[in-house]
Amino acid sequence: MKLRGAVNWALGLFRRSLQARSVFSTMIISGIAFAVVGGFLSFSIGNGLFSTRLEQVLSESERAVVEVQNTFSASSVTDEIALQTLMNSVVPNLESSGASDSRQVALLRSPGQSTAQILQSPISADLATEIIPADLRTSVRKTNGKLLYQSISLTVDGVSQPGIVVGAPIEIPLAGKYELYLVFDLSSQQQTLDFVQGTLLLGGFILLLMIGGVSYFVTQWIVKPVRVAAAVSEDIAKGALDRRLPEKGEDVIAVLGRSFNKMADSLQQQITKLASVSKMQQRFVSDVSHELRTPLTTIKLAGDLIFNNRDKFEPAAKRSAELMHDQIDRFQILLNDLLEISRYDAGAVHAELEVQDLNGVVGMAIAAIEPLAMSKGSKIEIDIPGGEVDAEIDGRRIERLLGNLLANAIEHGEGKPIRVAVGMDEHAVAVSVTDSGIGMTRAEVDRVFDRFWRADPARKRTTGGTGLGLAISLEDTNLHGGWLQVWAKPNEGACFRLTLPRRSGVIFNTSPLPLPPIKSVKPAKEQK
Amino acid sequence: MSNKILVIDDDNALREMVGIVLESEGFEVSYHDAGSGALDKFKSSQPDLVLLDVMLPGKDGIEVCREIRAVSGTPIIMLTAKTETDDVVRGLEAGADDYVVKPFDPGVLTARIRARLRPLGGNSEDTVTIGPLTLDVVGHEVRRGTEKLSLTPLEFNLLLTLANKPKQVFTREMLLETVWGYHYKADTRLVNVHVQRLRSKIEEDPDNPKIVTTVRGIGYKAGQA
Repeated sequence: MKLRGAVNWALGLFRRSLQARSVFSTMIISGIAFAVVGGFLSFSIGNGLFSTRLEQVLSESERAVVEVQNTFSASSVTDEIALQTLMNSVVPNLESSGASDSRQVALLRSPGQSTAQILQSPISADLATEIIPADLRTSVRKTNGKLLYQSISLTVDGVSQPGIVVGAPIEIPLAGKYELYLVFDLSSQQQTLDFVQGTLLLGGFILLLMIGGVSYFVTQWIVKPVRVAAAVSEDIAKGALDRRLPEKGEDVIAVLGRSFNKMADSLQQQITKLASVSKMQQRFVSDVSHELRTPLTTIKLAGDLIFNNRDKFEPAAKRSAELMHDQIDRFQILLNDLLEISRYDAGAVHAELEVQDLNGVVGMAIAAIEPLAMSKGSKIEIDIPGGEVDAEIDGRRIERLLGNLLANAIEHGEGKPIRVAVGMDEHAVAVSVTDSGIGMTRAEVDRVFDRFWRADPARKRTTGGTGLGLAISLEDTNLHGGWLQVWAKPNEGACFRLTLPRRSGVIFNTSPLPLPPIKSVKPAKEQK
Repeated sequence: MSNKILVIDDDNALREMVGIVLESEGFEVSYHDAGSGALDKFKSSQPDLVLLDVMLPGKDGIEVCREIRAVSGTPIIMLTAKTETDDVVRGLEAGADDYVVKPFDPGVLTARIRARLRPLGGNSEDTVTIGPLTLDVVGHEVRRGTEKLSLTPLEFNLLLTLANKPKQVFTREMLLETVWGYHYKADTRLVNVHVQRLRSKIEEDPDNPKIVTTVRGIGYKAGQA
């Protein structure tokens, strides 16, 4: 588990850090280069050592063979005992002579001779004759006095060491054909080679670490400006439009800095320009709405006064007073909606969140709309879970939002029942308002939240909505971090579902209520 | 005796129209059309209540409100075209008792005015004691020992309402109904701002109130929790 954690951490670092990747790749590539160069060096040094030693061994052996052959040829022994003594003396003589520190000697009789073996073959004490390869012996027997050699592996004190065995045929009077073998130990050469290799390996390793360090600092040096650039772009993306990169020097980093800054400058200009245009526009809407309020107040007061005295007027003037009174109210609602949306556009809206019972808010919204519903003949059916549905919401906004959905449902519900459902789960609460009226087409659903958009311009306006209601509702929903979704089918009705987090900032993935709505199986409770 | 109301607004048509509405309701109305000179007009006309537009030429309504509050506790209702937090809260902090948002109904305007002029009834005691304070209900006076504290009528009503039922916790909505006369949901900032103002006058340490305490998540009560 710990190991896996470390591996994951390393992989993560590798993925995230350009620097870690550069250092790692540099070290890998350098490592491969070192291995190749080191291997070549070690091979040629080994080769050199071997061939020097071989030359020495061969010249020593040649001398030895000639000496031994001469000893036998020149001897005048006639009996076997004297011959044996002579032969036995060869081995220690050869063992101790010469520059090489150690060697072993064997004087073996060639097999397959007609004369009987009567003499013992003298062999160095610690030499096992098996190590002399059979094929070398065969070749030595066939050769004509020439020296032959072969590399072998010697076992000294249980450790395998390289060695060379040199062989030559010897003709011994009276005794027949013999073969003289000299076994040379290469362990000192091997030691030298081992030492060289060890030094190479250690040096390579240190060099590799140093290259790693150097590449760390070099990449640090290169990556740092890139890192600064990344941090600055991040800042700019977050809105700190006046952040810039340093522009030191003439190198590619400085060029990057300069072009980056140029880009940031023009971005900042564009954004500032757009922002100021948009701010001016929002301000204009806000100012106009505010400026309209004072004269509207006078008109409203006057209109109310006239309206209250309408019974004193003749019929035409009386009807005019009534119409004016209604339209002043409508104008006022429109103005309020315009102001509200302009506040949202200006980003000046803050939710006043409070934990409260959503059922209560739904109840108040229904109570407020009840007179309108009655006048349209729409019955409002409610399906509300028992107990408290607590949610952290801005009650005023949510009540207004629900009032809006209900007014829409009543306007388009054609007098059929309207169903209000409340649901909750661990993370979210939801309210859905469903009517069984004229519904909407797909294209209409797509535009339903657009400002001043109306499903059917030819349809008469009965409830006097401003056309901003759903746009504001959507803004209110977004303010809470919730969803406002709609389902509709022509001539079947529409369902608006509001889903809100139970606590501000809580992330939710599903709504407690279904969309499209399921026709309720149990009889819905009737609103009293 | 009819109540006198001073209307301070720079819009001639609105000023006249408000005057017509108020006179038809039986109030005696005087007028002023700018921020400058408003205090002099206030002193000379001795109104029972001031209707004050926030945006005035010369000197803005909030400044005027502060000036009047410095010399008198006469109820002030602000007329505002903006409902943005800043404007309303600044007005209330300057000492306005209540505010009405343009455009308003004549009925709403007169209801707000009457609520401010209505004496607080239903009190059986002549004096009420709360902590170190003594409230003289008839004389509308508050004393700490022998020191007289200067409260506006609204602040007095607020304190008296709480002091009459020292055990009870009042929600902001209850206070809005009892003290301000709102019978429907209204802006609870009215309560918050006025409780702050009241505390700054009656508490030894307004940041650590002992007379009017906050009950978290519910509202306010008199005395310590």
